[in-house]
Amino acid sequence: MSSEPIERRVSYLGDRLKACRCQSCGKEYFEVRDYCSNCGRKSFGKMDNIDLFYDKGKLEFCTLVNEPTNKFMKLSSYVYGIVSFHNGKIRVPARITDQLICKGDNVDLESLEGREVIPRFRRRYTVGKNEVVPTISLAFTLADEYYPHQEYTVVQPSKEYELPGIVGYGAYTSRFRIKEPGLERAVPFVDEDSVTAAVEAGKLSLIHSGLDSTWVGKVYVGSESNPYAVKPIASKVAQVLKLGEEDGDVQGVDAVDTEFACKAGTSMFKDASALVSYPKSGINYAMVIGADNSQAAPRGCPGGELDTYVGYGGASFIFGKQDVIAEIEGWYSCTSDTPDFWRRDGEQYPMHGGRFTGDPAYFKHVRKSACKLMERLNVKAADLNYFVPHQPNPQFPIRIAKELGFKDEQYLPAIQITKFGNTYSGASLIGLAAVLDIAKPDERILVASYGSGAGSDAYLLRTTSQLLDKRKRQKINVKFQAENPFIEYIDYTTYRRLKMGM
Amino acid sequence: MQNRPAIVAVGRTKFGEHYGKEPEKLIEDAWLAASNECSIERKDLEACYLSDCFLPITNKLGLEEGFLSELTELHVPMEVTRSFSAALLTACNAIQAGVYNTVLVGGIEKMTDRWDKIRDDLMLLDDPWSYYAGGTPESNHELMLRAYIKKHNIKGESLEQLNLALAEVTVKNHANATKNKYAQFQRKISIEQVLNARKTAHKPLGLYDFAPISDGASALILTSDSTAKKMIKNPVNVLAIGSATDYLNYPKRADLSHFVAAELAMKKASQTSKVAPSELQIIEVYDQSTVMEMVSLEDLGLCEPGTAWKSIHGCSNCYNIGGKQVFVNTDGGLKANGNPLGATGGAQIYEIYRQIRHEAGERQVKVGDGSPRNGCVLEFEGFGTKAYVSILGVNRDE
Repeated sequence: MSSEPIERRVSYLGDRLKACRCQSCGKEYFEVRDYCSNCGRKSFGKMDNIDLFYDKGKLEFCTLVNEPTNKFMKLSSYVYGIVSFHNGKIRVPARITDQLICKGDNVDLESLEGREVIPRFRRRYTVGKNEVVPTISLAFTLADEYYPHQEYTVVQPSKEYELPGIVGYGAYTSRFRIKEPGLERAVPFVDEDSVTAAVEAGKLSLIHSGLDSTWVGKVYVGSESNPYAVKPIASKVAQVLKLGEEDGDVQGVDAVDTEFACKAGTSMFKDASALVSYPKSGINYAMVIGADNSQAAPRGCPGGELDTYVGYGGASFIFGKQDVIAEIEGWYSCTSDTPDFWRRDGEQYPMHGGRFTGDPAYFKHVRKSACKLMERLNVKAADLNYFVPHQPNPQFPIRIAKELGFKDEQYLPAIQITKFGNTYSGASLIGLAAVLDIAKPDERILVASYGSGAGSDAYLLRTTSQLLDKRKRQKINVKFQAENPFIEYIDYTTYRRLKMGM
Repeated sequence: MQNRPAIVAVGRTKFGEHYGKEPEKLIEDAWLAASNECSIERKDLEACYLSDCFLPITNKLGLEEGFLSELTELHVPMEVTRSFSAALLTACNAIQAGVYNTVLVGGIEKMTDRWDKIRDDLMLLDDPWSYYAGGTPESNHELMLRAYIKKHNIKGESLEQLNLALAEVTVKNHANATKNKYAQFQRKISIEQVLNARKTAHKPLGLYDFAPISDGASALILTSDSTAKKMIKNPVNVLAIGSATDYLNYPKRADLSHFVAAELAMKKASQTSKVAPSELQIIEVYDQSTVMEMVSLEDLGLCEPGTAWKSIHGCSNCYNIGGKQVFVNTDGGLKANGNPLGATGGAQIYEIYRQIRHEAGERQVKVGDGSPRNGCVLEFEGFGTKAYVSILGVNRDE
């Protein structure tokens, strides 16, 4: 029953927490206004647009909601209150998210009051399956927990590179985990999905790159768990992150979703690199995101075997030719029509080819792309510092790495499946992010993704000295999220509930 | 004052769940009771003012005036407002301006017809952004309590007394309702029940701190002073109605610890009626929660900000404010009498009317040797978004 125009307007303000400030008296408003109510007519046209998306607020007062309104039922119990920004100049209603509170739990509400909080982009509430998915950033998390506040500072680029490459990146996974023998897996909170993960990853990559978001001319989002069959995730990412020059309420950016199982993200690395290199494109930076709330049927159901490995998260990489942290030396992609994993339209969960997802699918394609690329560029495994394979389970990436002649220290830093689970389109990207988090300048990294259906993209990257300069800007890196003391472990039943979402 | 408006009859239904009755039927009951009381015929009505907060949503009724026209078989001017006080204010203006001489003011609400979605509707209509953020109809009251406690730095033993005082508000209102045959709840409750409900909810306020959702209707006949005196003995005058408005979004308001709209409305009403807050003898406040009853005592100017709980604590059926007895919500208040939004104000006026005319039966309060000579009604629309203060009394010119 939600109305599309109302959804659009609420999201437009609420996703970014758009606000404004009067130039003469400094009064601030949570909304976009043409004039200030203090200064009246003379302030017309003298209101500065600000937004609170990268800001931090303070939880002023709070209470517990354990009988939510109908649309919030799936959140069960949560802390709700009032958050102020800029020393109380702006106050907004706020839901505290990423907290599992069971009915009957005692929450020390007073101890929460006065704490710093960060706005997080989340699903707003539950709607019918045929309706627009509402989102909002009036969901907050505590700044001294899993996700600390990070300044977003724009830095003017200083150095032009010959080859295009990565200029910034960010990986995002949720606070919740399910722990089973051999691996931990990230579980989205009930208000998270592939869209919110894509936005989070994009946000972290902007912070890391120091780029003005308006300089990004194209955004690709690869996912196989878009809540929509038709409607791009990329449009939401572009609007929330304000990519491209803003004109009215439209962003001057090209945004597109891609899909090729788990390689929907990596496939676009070359497109993004080519785009920023083409002199007439007018695009200096392109963002590539791979994010998934990896789908799997419950255990015991057909396709339920996947439920052992699926995770949640994504990563974003920004490509350009200025202030590059890792240049792209070359690539090779291969494709064959091998239906080892698929999901028919209208089906909730994917199916897979069982024993044939290995040799004729994953191994054949990853081997082919990695070998071909090394052959083309005339490098051997020993010449490289890191190998990042796609990681659908803990065994496959290790087997292929060894087969290709890589040693433990070359591939183990990339293996993140045991910490976050298989994040589908995000899996090889999070592996690459983990390697970039620790790599030194002038090191070479081979990435070989895999997408069922099937194909593989291999890239050879060489890091630059600017890798170290930018590293300081990103506290929320892969290791930080893997070893975070605020991770909350949940049981299988809760995991299924959270994964189903709102 | 020229054409001073006067109430000559009041009527209401029981508040509660009227599963089998259409909304039209409820307003008919209230109108019949009122018209019967002053022997007025529908043809005597020159205009009707009806209030309902959201019949168009609960009952998909878009033109409430239509069923009032059917009911009265009249084609006179009819207008709909969202609260009873707003309807009364409009009616008073018309009487004072000399436009009409005798009008019907009615209020109606049928909330239980949409019991399954009513909390979403209430919250969305009261304060959309708070709804989008996950707020509930109860949460703003709890946040106001937190803001009140912090602003006035209430701690330790004082805080315990404040929490106890809020429980006493409910206990008093439930006790009063047992003497009111129209009230939704007809049973006494104990302090322990209130406190236990808070414990169960793990929140500052619990089940017994909040007014219910209700069905019901109320009506009154309003006329000018001179006509009133020909119709009945001792009509009750509307001495003043003050009204004010505040932001829809509660977190945006300047002071979160009270209702500025109520304060402003009271100032205007007091000025017009020349009745000072300290002179008020009986008061009906809009206790959608116990917190609301407490802060309203301050907003109406009866207590200093931050002190109302001291006057409440330890009192049984009336508050002791500055050594003076003040009777508040003698009909059970919204908490126990019920809260069918559009009709609620009518029930509040009903109570003041009965008390001033010494017709309140078991509930009758005594001021000195007789019944109160004035009374005040505070009604809100939304969570303090609009406030109306009506001061009623017997004509002082006599």
